[in-house]
Amino acid sequence: MARILLIGTYLSVALIGIGVLLMVATGVSPLDAAPPFDPARLASEIVAGDPEGFLWLGIIAVIATPSVRVAASLVGYLRDGERAMAFVSVGILVVIATSVVLAVGLEG
Amino acid sequence: MATGLLMIAGGTAAGAFGSLLGLGGGILIVPLLTLGFGLPLREAVGVSLVSVIATSGAAAGVYLQRHVANLRLGMTLELFTALGALAGALVAFAIPDQVLAGLFAALSLYIAATMLRGRPTDAGAEVVLDDVPTGADGATTLDRMSGPGYRVRNLWPGVGGSLFAGVVSAVLGVGGGIVKVPVMNLVMGVPLRVATATSNLMIGVTASASAIIYLSRGGIDPYVAGPTVLGVFVGATIGSRTAHRVDVRALRLLFAAVLVYTAWQMLGRALG
Repeated sequence: MARILLIGTYLSVALIGIGVLLMVATGVSPLDAAPPFDPARLASEIVAGDPEGFLWLGIIAVIATPSVRVAASLVGYLRDGERAMAFVSVGILVVIATSVVLAVGLEG
Repeated sequence: MATGLLMIAGGTAAGAFGSLLGLGGGILIVPLLTLGFGLPLREAVGVSLVSVIATSGAAAGVYLQRHVANLRLGMTLELFTALGALAGALVAFAIPDQVLAGLFAALSLYIAATMLRGRPTDAGAEVVLDDVPTGADGATTLDRMSGPGYRVRNLWPGVGGSLFAGVVSAVLGVGGGIVKVPVMNLVMGVPLRVATATSNLMIGVTASASAIIYLSRGGIDPYVAGPTVLGVFVGATIGSRTAHRVDVRALRLLFAAVLVYTAWQMLGRALG
């Protein structure tokens, strides 16, 4: 659990760090108008070396890391037969999933 | 480039301050971005949420490794902080900017008062036995959440406090620890050190539930989030490694002064 949090956090910040370096290299200011988040363009932005690609990927990784921790906890609790905590873990993941569904609905 | 460096520097200061004083830094990041860089308040809240997730993630990992954070209690309560955060994020975009600024001013003053009063001690954390449903092995629900030397009590008031903490986090871009830590320590009987570590663990899930909504509503600017998150993360790392060398009392006074000034500025915005 601890390792997931640490690895996820450092990986996310590293991606964001690459994005910031690319901002400097391409002369992008933090106050410039940023393109909106578009998952469909993420891969092409990263391949093209656009700073927003790495920044969005890092931001998503930051947001996703706690949920990955909860999912790992769920696996652990199921393996140990701790049903109550497994339910709690499922509940948390349902709330996060609801957030994602509502977010997609709001975007559309 | 100058703006980016200033943002990184500001984020570093916010992260260091927050780390040294046991806060997530959100209470400084939001006014830094709005008052310092002219960012709309809601976007500042969105960036702050990403920042506090990043800083709490690293710290929470260490707390778990050292078995300081109470994972069972933290996960039970974060179910409710996440619910509160989701509700808060949905409502946040309907709140007028002036009301948001007023709420932020109130929170800043509350935290400043807390800083000046000093940290709560463990004197209020009595150990009390409650009647709760018993599991098949004889251990109660609260038994399983308790830790060495303390027994968790008053779970439902804790749940209520967690819901409120989630709403505060989502609306104002803070981690919510200012609500969660006193609730766990003074109401639920959890030692302060454990409450702080557990609250830190909970910030990630709490803030991510609302950050997803902010992301979809265009409330997170990647060009601002990048330098800010980087700065806050570096600052929090420096803060955690130098805490033992710093006179926290002097920092508290300085921090309280900064918060009062921030509250004054935010109040000005609220009153238009």
